[in-house]
Amino acid sequence: MGTVDIRNIRKSYGNVEVLHGVSLHIRDGEFVALVGPSGCGKSTLLRMIAGLEDITAGDIVISDRVVNHVAPKDRNIAMVFQNYALYPHMNVRDNMGFALRQRRMPKPEIESRVDNAARILGLERLLDRKPRALSGGQRQRVAMGRAIVREPNVFLFDEPLSNLDAKLRVQMRSEIKELHQRLKTTTVYVTHDQIEAMTLADRVVVMNGGVIEQQGSPLELYDHPASRFVAAFIGSPPMNFIEGTVVNGTHVRLEDGTTIHVPVTNLGGQARVTIGVRPEHFELSNAGWPATVSVVEPTGSETQITARMSGQIVRILIRGRTFVRPGEVIHLTVPPDLIHIFDDSGTPSIHAITRGIKQHA
Amino acid sequence: MTTVATSAPRRSSGQLGRRVRIVTGVAVTLLFLFPVFWMVLTSFKHQVDIFTSPPKFFFTPTISTYVEYFRRADIERRLINTVIVAAGSGLLSIVVGTMAGYALARIRIRGAATFGVLILLSRGVPPIALAVPMFLVARQLGLTDKHITLILAYSTFLIPYVMWLMRSFFLSLPRELEESAMIDGCSRYGAFFKIIMPISLPGLISTLIFSMILAWEELLFALVLTNRVASTIPVAIAGIAGDTINGANWGALTAVGTITVVPVVIFALLVQKWLIQGLADGATKG
Ligand SMILES: Nc1ncnc2c1ncn2[C@@H]1O[C@H](COP(=O)(O)OP(=O)(O)OP(=O)(O)O)[C@@H](O)[C@H]1O
Ligand SMILES: [Mg+2]
Repeated sequence: MGTVDIRNIRKSYGNVEVLHGVSLHIRDGEFVALVGPSGCGKSTLLRMIAGLEDITAGDIVISDRVVNHVAPKDRNIAMVFQNYALYPHMNVRDNMGFALRQRRMPKPEIESRVDNAARILGLERLLDRKPRALSGGQRQRVAMGRAIVREPNVFLFDEPLSNLDAKLRVQMRSEIKELHQRLKTTTVYVTHDQIEAMTLADRVVVMNGGVIEQQGSPLELYDHPASRFVAAFIGSPPMNFIEGTVVNGTHVRLEDGTTIHVPVTNLGGQARVTIGVRPEHFELSNAGWPATVSVVEPTGSETQITARMSGQIVRILIRGRTFVRPGEVIHLTVPPDLIHIFDDSGTPSIHAITRGIKQHA
Repeated sequence: MTTVATSAPRRSSGQLGRRVRIVTGVAVTLLFLFPVFWMVLTSFKHQVDIFTSPPKFFFTPTISTYVEYFRRADIERRLINTVIVAAGSGLLSIVVGTMAGYALARIRIRGAATFGVLILLSRGVPPIALAVPMFLVARQLGLTDKHITLILAYSTFLIPYVMWLMRSFFLSLPRELEESAMIDGCSRYGAFFKIIMPISLPGLISTLIFSMILAWEELLFALVLTNRVASTIPVAIAGIAGDTINGANWGALTAVGTITVVPVVIFALLVQKWLIQGLADGATKG
């Protein structure tokens, strides 16, 4: 049983508060990714779950036990660090078995667990090597192996893939996912890479400036970002934002004076708004929002168009091929339920699309 | 020279650089070794051969100086004393200094940095200013001319030295090593002894060697705080050097000097395999 309940956690370093009351309930077996920009407090929160940082206020409950004052070793958690932190004087076998030896587990059992983990991770032939004789990817695997053999209640990962090259990162990503599907161990995974978070996690928690901005399944966040921050953070290439002023209910005047028709009904009395459209949701048509093409980048399966709209740059992703050319004026339409509208402060969205709910509920 | 270096292809200029480095290395080594060599040579000369001009490289060797001074200067007892004091103060300082250095490097203590600097600054006090007060304290406590007195006195400068060296070594280790160990079932102490200590061994041993050498050759405190029972070799050398009634006794000085150096060399050779081992590589991403 590995549930983690974070109750209104605060953390201060001296006079500076870096976590301002974070609450999060993680179910048994769930894979939760914490994402957010650098310095938002992801690692701090993770380290508090691990017991490596003390808690300024609030409670952390692991498997129905308040662990605020429980030493890291007594929390039955395993952690994989960004720099792996392998013990340099021990070979791979001893690195992986260290925690078990600490628990005075019988030797044969340690051996079978280490061998088993080594098989899962493809480390069998490296068991007698010292960490310095391993490549970065192999070290990463050993760090994972060290966590697996523990059979802990909870896995904690702090940006475990960020030191690998792009190709290896993608490969390890799917290995981690496969591992989780096999072991079904509750996992908290910190990353600043939203793709990693989206592809791995059952639930993504977006943090910003020491608070949780929004949490939900990857597609919920993609379909219904609750703020402009989340909208910009989730999705790649990122959502386009076009600023303007509401004129008469269904029209928005952009900065350069162009007026576009926004086919939604509840614009209300908001004076200034930001319209958000994901690049992949634009469609080319004969009439619609005008934009001037500046760059066309075909990749074969899709074409990315960069265009100017009211002096702002927008990115458009079109499936397949297109014949637009730089300099050309194109017209864009967006299905009404895929338009996001944020109010002046950029925080709460005043319009949420509905299509996603119907599809994914 | 310049034209050769610039017009020569890259590889041969690299070889030239290599040669320059080797020659420089050999020259510096010879420069440092020559006085030692001359000392050892002189110690085996008869009195008449010492001041010949030009100096003699070939002569009938003798160990008469050794035999005489072993007895006269009580060298055997002093040698044992020096070993006891150097080993005692070296080990005490390494234990205390390492743990203090670790605490300063890792544990969040209010004012730890100030504290560390203060300890280091205490080394700025000239030893001569401390020697007399130390003697008075030792006399008060009835501790003059005892091994423990010298061991404690030496520790006053060795502990800050060890502490500061080991602190910077610990700072260079990733914190996650201990954190990982603590998650894996260790207490803070367990992580220190099972993970940090083995990794630090080469650094620890070289620090220990330097500390022992510092204690081995220390004169001032030994002169002030000991008399006969706990007196060390440097005191003997000072005694011989100071005894100039019949002119400087170079034979005796070089013989006792050689006796002082030999154990250090043997010790260094014994532990050198620890010194050349790699440090903490491979712990992290690398
Ligand atoms: N020991 C410390 N003392 C003071 N401030 C700290 C300490 N550790 C972290 N902070 C601050 O707490 C905030 C959160 O840090 P944290 O390491 O959790 O960020 P993060 O979200 O993990 O960022 P990154 O993606 O860069 O790893 C930062 O503003 C950081 O400066
Ligand atoms: Mg971090």
